[in-house]
Amino acid sequence: MAKRTRSRETTGDPAPVGTPTGWRAYRREITFLVLFLVLLGGGFSFIAWTPVNDGFVEPFTAGIARVSAVTLDLLGQDVTRSGTIITSDRFAVNIRNGCNGLETVLIFLAAVLAFPAPWRSRAVGVVLGVAAIQVVNLVRVVALFLTGAYMPDLFDASHTVIWQTVVILCGVLLWIVWADRFARPALQRDAAAS
Amino acid sequence: MTRRKKSAPAPVPAISPAAEPVPFDTRRFLRNLLVAFVPAVLVWLVVTPFYNRFLLAAGENVVHLTESPDVTELLPAARDHHHGLITRRDFPPSRRLTHTFRVTDLHFHLVLLGALFLAVPGVLLRKRLADLGVAALVSVFFHLVLVLFWVQFVYATQLGAWSAENYGAFGQNFWGLGKHLLDLPFKLALPFVLWAAFHLDRLLPRRHREPNAP
Repeated sequence: MAKRTRSRETTGDPAPVGTPTGWRAYRREITFLVLFLVLLGGGFSFIAWTPVNDGFVEPFTAGIARVSAVTLDLLGQDVTRSGTIITSDRFAVNIRNGCNGLETVLIFLAAVLAFPAPWRSRAVGVVLGVAAIQVVNLVRVVALFLTGAYMPDLFDASHTVIWQTVVILCGVLLWIVWADRFARPALQRDAAAS
Repeated sequence: MTRRKKSAPAPVPAISPAAEPVPFDTRRFLRNLLVAFVPAVLVWLVVTPFYNRFLLAAGENVVHLTESPDVTELLPAARDHHHGLITRRDFPPSRRLTHTFRVTDLHFHLVLLGALFLAVPGVLLRKRLADLGVAALVSVFFHLVLVLFWVQFVYATQLGAWSAENYGAFGQNFWGLGKHLLDLPFKLALPFVLWAAFHLDRLLPRRHREPNAP
């Protein structure tokens, strides 16, 4: 992060007129990070609030379980679902908070909203990003069920380490692609037009 | 056919080109990421047993800062190197073990951190490793705080009557919500936050150049 300041310090050149110096040189980065952390903490506290949890998160998680059970049925697994629990002869899994993809969705949403971009670009990012993250999360739930059923020794590592990393990575990559391909060009177009 | 007039030399920009970050090459970043994952996973797998022991020992000292006398012991579990035991010396021997937790789960995001930092295109490997070192150091501090919150969360909310006797409603909510936020969103987002702190300037639109003052 010290790149810009350091380049001036090492060359000994005075900062050009109109160029922000000191912490102001990083104002946009600092604004993004602070806003991101506030939105992230606020978002998670909000969904942890009992009325929101009971009224939205739990039914949403049950919906994930329903879609996962249908997908597993299509893959030839004879499963039954009760609420957020999917059961077969070989394995049973309870889809809880943390397995519904909402963490990654909130990280992605906080990053999209904190990034300086036109609202149109943000809307595109939110719709496409959230849908893509939920598709990846569906693959994760189905893959974890199959891992538990056929390779139970690998379930723990797969559950906490591998798939969490994969889903978060997808969220981060989606954001980078959105910022680079959608948000920045749109912002530059707007700036050029004004 | 008319000969085009030679264009005048471009005006000197208000900000020197050296001050501008190199534009971000997303395609190369995605390609690098696939390669960078291999060393990141391998190093993490090798370091994990030692790092888990370090976290338990250092985390115990951090917990001691919040209690008097020092009664908490964080011990490695005998069954594998992934788990840690939270024990209290002031409890009777039959209840001394208060909780077991997976220490490896606290720091698996280091794989993501390593891969993200190593994959950045257009930066010398030495610089990428130096940035990763700084980010890893920040992560270590985060892990120690997370251990503290884990232990206090167990004490405040998981020990039934003892928790209710020793922690009020505020304490239980503070440690509970704190552990929830640190262990889920902030832990998962930390690699991204640290990566953004170093490389966000390359994704942001170019800074608006103000004209020179008279």
